[in-house]
Amino acid sequence: MKKIALLAFSMALAATVAGCHKDETTSKDRDLAGVNVAVGESSRYSKLFVLNEGAWQKNNATLDFFRIGDGNYVSDAFSQMNPTVTQGLGDTGNDLALHDGELWIVMNGSGMVHVVDAFDEELEASIAVPDPRYIAFDDDYAYVSSYAGAVYGGEPTKGKVYKIDVDSYQIIGSVEVGCQPEGLDIVDGNLYVANSGGYNPVHEKTVSVIDLDSFKVVGSVEVASNLKGLKADGLGSYWVSTYGEGRYDASWNYIQTEACSLHRVRSGKVTTVAGVHISCMDACDGNLWAIGNDRELEGGHVLTLYQVSHDLSVKKTEFGGTDLSRVNNPYGILVNPENGDLYIADASYTDAGKVHCFDKNLKHKWTATAGMLPAHMVLY
Amino acid sequence: MRKALLIFLLCCLAPGLKAQPDTLRSAVISAVQGRGELLPGDTIPAGLLQRAVSVADAVRTFGGVQIRDYGGVGGLKTINVRSLGSEHTGVFLDGIRIDNTQNMQVDLGRYATDGLAGIRLYQGQKAGYLQSAKEYGNANALYLTSARPEKNGMTLRFRTGSFGTYAPALTVDRRFGSRISLRAQAEYTASDGRYPFHVSDSRTLPDGTHAGYDTVMTRQNGDLHSLRAALHLFGPGWHVQAWGYGSGRGLPGPVYKRAGTYPLSRDRQDDRNFFLQGEWTAGPIRLKGKLSHDALRFTDHSETNPDLAPAVFNYATDQAYLSAAGLLEPLPWWKISLAADLQATYMDADLRDFVYPFRLSGWLAAAQHVTAGPLQASASLLYEAHLDRFGTLGDSRFRDVLSPALILRYDPAAGWTFSAFAKRSWRLPSFNDLYYTNVGSANLRPEDAWQAGLDVSWSRTAGPWRFEAKAEGYVNRIRDKIIAVPTASQFRWSMYNIGDVRILGSDLRAVIRHEYISLDLRYTFQQARDHTAADKGQVPYIPIHSGSATLSGTWHGWTADLTIFATGERFTASSNLPMFRLVPWLTADADFGKRLPLKTGELTVRLSLRNLTGEQYEIVDRYPMPGRNVLLTLDYSF
Repeated sequence: MKKIALLAFSMALAATVAGCHKDETTSKDRDLAGVNVAVGESSRYSKLFVLNEGAWQKNNATLDFFRIGDGNYVSDAFSQMNPTVTQGLGDTGNDLALHDGELWIVMNGSGMVHVVDAFDEELEASIAVPDPRYIAFDDDYAYVSSYAGAVYGGEPTKGKVYKIDVDSYQIIGSVEVGCQPEGLDIVDGNLYVANSGGYNPVHEKTVSVIDLDSFKVVGSVEVASNLKGLKADGLGSYWVSTYGEGRYDASWNYIQTEACSLHRVRSGKVTTVAGVHISCMDACDGNLWAIGNDRELEGGHVLTLYQVSHDLSVKKTEFGGTDLSRVNNPYGILVNPENGDLYIADASYTDAGKVHCFDKNLKHKWTATAGMLPAHMVLY
Repeated sequence: MRKALLIFLLCCLAPGLKAQPDTLRSAVISAVQGRGELLPGDTIPAGLLQRAVSVADAVRTFGGVQIRDYGGVGGLKTINVRSLGSEHTGVFLDGIRIDNTQNMQVDLGRYATDGLAGIRLYQGQKAGYLQSAKEYGNANALYLTSARPEKNGMTLRFRTGSFGTYAPALTVDRRFGSRISLRAQAEYTASDGRYPFHVSDSRTLPDGTHAGYDTVMTRQNGDLHSLRAALHLFGPGWHVQAWGYGSGRGLPGPVYKRAGTYPLSRDRQDDRNFFLQGEWTAGPIRLKGKLSHDALRFTDHSETNPDLAPAVFNYATDQAYLSAAGLLEPLPWWKISLAADLQATYMDADLRDFVYPFRLSGWLAAAQHVTAGPLQASASLLYEAHLDRFGTLGDSRFRDVLSPALILRYDPAAGWTFSAFAKRSWRLPSFNDLYYTNVGSANLRPEDAWQAGLDVSWSRTAGPWRFEAKAEGYVNRIRDKIIAVPTASQFRWSMYNIGDVRILGSDLRAVIRHEYISLDLRYTFQQARDHTAADKGQVPYIPIHSGSATLSGTWHGWTADLTIFATGERFTASSNLPMFRLVPWLTADADFGKRLPLKTGELTVRLSLRNLTGEQYEIVDRYPMPGRNVLLTLDYSF
């Protein structure tokens, strides 16, 4: 048992914020210094949470929020509200989800899932999960996909889905799926898990189907090679995206051979949505918003917003010439179901990223400076 | 470009061809035996050379350099001179470059200072008369020179100290007649690499109170076991050496938050390095050659699943090198150096889809040295060409570059020297940059480095006191810097020539020396700005202000040295936001030594106390450096 490191002693430098009882009307995060980036609006949502993934092995993942009521953007809210938590959120955030007033933050590098009160960002639990990737919920359980310790270039290793009780925060089961599972979501009592196989010489092509009553794999659906994202559409189907495929040619030039594509699966039947090149996506009201490089196969760089409606018709908007051209490296997308606002996380890879907001007509509303690699967003 | 090269070469050759053989020979010998080089470069005091545990330890005091140190006995230690990047510094052992074609970085922690006569750092290049063509090819050069044994003798040394370190070493010197001598050296080093460090943070809350955490952890998986052996043979005008190094070490990795049940890193690296090199000088001709084999085995353990078998990756590089240099002296005030080098490199790895690159390299250099009273000038031009063959179909890439340099020296009056240099040089993409599976990009261009520097030095001796001062100013620019960024697909990263860094710097030094005491002060200012975008600032890891101070004393066999290093704030990203800030640090080291003459031989006892104040600092982000530590050295020579 070689632990992370020997904990000789741990000492809080000073007491935490005075007063531990929960004020039901005003969040304790009201005093956090933010930067005003927009005019406040009234909304049924109070905050837009942003998880900055942080650079790999730099331990600089952070949780920000945009307070919709006053238009202030607060950086690093988790550390400010939990100053005595050693090493903060940790390393390489990979997913963020809201369940029953709690934010579940999946930390891939740290091998942890944090549960944080969405009201005041106070840490409620940290659950050790090996190599966690993405998270989905039904009423009583959280399901977390995991690479389960696989090493690039090592022996092919099956991934897992861990089942966590949302009340006790305990792992109560796990089931083996394909190699390097990524996105997962629930449709009609089944959990669907996109397998990438990204560490293997030949990538995976299937979605694993898990029956939630028995928590066993009951089937698989072949979709495409190197799967990535998976989102239920709320109408009985689910969307699946891929990482695309590429290889070196004989002259050691890298050639992308398959696009980062989008597929919809309805009752086990796969339909590929033609012409969509996808790097990030959000499902909302039966439709799908996606961003990708429309010329990825030609080696060009034409960032494009794809609005895919449920009948699979696609509306393309190239960023160039529109307000969307403010976005350099789209890394995450979220649609506000209330007013159609579009939030785009803009990563810089080596520096702090940004979060942009556009209205439903794609007119720019505001931009805030975020942390390192902003990627995952949720409205509360 | 080619035409210019040809004209320059012809210009160099023509006068030489006309020179009378006899006069040429005598002039050349006097030149070789004379001063030999235009600028002396920066040196390390003999005392520091003796007490340093490795070359990396010794070169920390140079002005304008950053030692990138991952911490601990086994942590990688490389030198970055004037913010150009460590790949731009050539490290030469007895005039032959130590090449690391795989990643272009030389780990200075692996080279010992014992047995060295000196370490010199040259900005631009060494401007000597009989140097190989490769010696013209770096932005700056660090020279390690082996000492020739003067008598029969033997030295036994034992070091022990913190981190469970012990290192026995043996040196044997033999002379055969008056002309040939031998030195054999071996050193074993073992260290568990464990040391405590703090992980802490403190912040001011909205209500004005402070809160934070301060946790002590222990650095783990930083152990090192190494064996280094060297055999030197010196003769009249020649020197041959065989060198071997084998090591096994843990790679402790960066410190970041991990769930309690998982270790941070269990990765390991094993190295086997061998080389055989030689040099032969006869009159105006010098020949050099080297054969080397470097093998690296990296074991990537799953950090979250102890049941999984580790992934093992093997890399091996074989290299052969030959150099010929000659000197012509058409007129007493005019010398011409010519050199041609050839090198072949092959790399093998068991990576998936590896391309097994083979690189054939050639260098041609010509330099002219002119002396006119107090003014000396050296102009050189290097042409280098590299042909890489790789891939199953034997595809290839050809790269060639020209590196011109101009060095001026002016000695107007006793004690005063002014010098200036300007140079353009290149750093070739490494095999990792080009061919690392999934990241490499075969079409990279070499990184382009421009430098111009001016310095003035002054010295004066007054009775038992000696005063020295030196001020250097420089402007550098690196273009086409090789950086990894995402490709057309966001999910795949690759190497590109996109970086642009401009550097404005100054190194200042003042030395006061007396028979028994000396004080050496250094200060460096460096503004190194990232020019790839408007909102960028100081490049990662380069402090604007840094410096060192060394106070040394000697008295009847006793020595005492106190060294202070200070480094100002740095950032880990070019946008200098608070989230990327690394805090300034200051460390103090003390060394005490005593020489004890014995009935047979002499015993030297040395106690080194490092980081006296227990400063908690990081040179590389997330790689904590050790706190207070001690090292005891016993040296017995007879």
